[in-house]
Amino acid sequence: MNILAMLWKNLWGGSRTMLFPARPKVTENYRGLVRFDPALCSGCAVCKMRCTAKAIDFKSGKGEFTWSYDPGQCTFCGRCVDGCKAHALHQESACPPVYTTIGELKVAYTVARKPPAPRPAPPAAAPADAKEQAAPPAAGGTE
Amino acid sequence: MNMTTALARLLIFPGLLFAIPAAWFILWVERKAVALMQGRIGPPFMQPFFDFIKLLGKDTPPRDGIGGMLMKAWPLIAVSAAAGAVGLLPVLPSSGGFEGDLILLLALLEVPSMCIIAAGFSSRSIFGEIGSAREAVLSVSYNIVFLLAILSIAASQHTFSLETLAQLPASPLRWLGVLALLVCLPAKLHLNPFSLPNAEQEIYSGPMTEYAGPELAMWELSHGLEWVAATGLVATLAAPHVAFGWLAIFIFVAFSFGIVLLLSVVASATARLAIDTTVRFYWQVTLIFAVLAISSALLVRFRS
Repeated sequence: MNILAMLWKNLWGGSRTMLFPARPKVTENYRGLVRFDPALCSGCAVCKMRCTAKAIDFKSGKGEFTWSYDPGQCTFCGRCVDGCKAHALHQESACPPVYTTIGELKVAYTVARKPPAPRPAPPAAAPADAKEQAAPPAAGGTE
Repeated sequence: MNMTTALARLLIFPGLLFAIPAAWFILWVERKAVALMQGRIGPPFMQPFFDFIKLLGKDTPPRDGIGGMLMKAWPLIAVSAAAGAVGLLPVLPSSGGFEGDLILLLALLEVPSMCIIAAGFSSRSIFGEIGSAREAVLSVSYNIVFLLAILSIAASQHTFSLETLAQLPASPLRWLGVLALLVCLPAKLHLNPFSLPNAEQEIYSGPMTEYAGPELAMWELSHGLEWVAATGLVATLAAPHVAFGWLAIFIFVAFSFGIVLLLSVVASATARLAIDTTVRFYWQVTLIFAVLAISSALLVRFRS
């Protein structure tokens, strides 16, 4: 009769419900609010494309871009973080805060575009046949 | 029982004036006990009352025709029948009663269940219809046992009067009958593991799905009154008889409270069974038990 023992324990163990200001403990890998580091962002807008909840918006301007994030719409799926090659996004390991007005937690960053990185020198022309000139080094260079 | 005492019993004690707060109290005890056993806080003491008042203040969607009228009528019939059943309980010693009031009580206790079946079908909602079909099947299964248990108690003590039954000392056979009644109560009150007709998360709330506002408040009230009547019936049969008014009331309330707690423990310790398992439980397991009870009651009666 394990269930009866469990009920008895619950009956005297008090409730597990937390009253408002208290928040549950979270694990290290908890997926909370998305944090943005403008210094690392390359402005590729992959995060916007990956965001199915439309919480991330990206507007491109002249010589700059605006990255904005609305936690109210975020589902904390972490797809933006996974897709960010420049590691400019990460998720807080804390419960999202409670807020009372719509858009209170919304953040926007306007970041100046970095000058394109100088193209690496093309690899020395191989004397061998053209089959070896595959795409990977070239693709890496555009990043 | 003359007209005045009948009215007093129906309207004041143990009828509406006593039974409605008692119904809210029992609903609260059940919800709170289940919550505590599940590690939750549970509702505040006045919650069933707040729920009732809040529902009374809401609008109901307009419904035309006979169907709409029927949907309004079923909860009222259920509440009146349940209140009548509570009014028949002999809480106070020598409070009247008549030969055969046990049969009337059983009939009245059955009315809310029939109203629920009818309400689900008149609401023409698929969930309501499934809930009603389940309630009908469930009612056929547990009622055989329920009625046999009552019959065995009545037959073993030679009377159909609740007052006389409450005064007679309990025989071992009566305890067997009370046990069978207790097995039927979760099904009668739609509690786990027999909460099929109003299975939440499954068919919403079954026959009640289409109900809102004051009509839903009436259903809640009728459910509460059913609780009072059903636990009161078992308490009447199980509690020892005392001649003092206040002590009698106290014992009656304490027994009802104990039964509510017992049912809450069963409800929180079990999960909902499927309809076929439930029917098999009542027809194969409990029915044998009830038939044994009634056959031994009849044997005892013919030998004495």
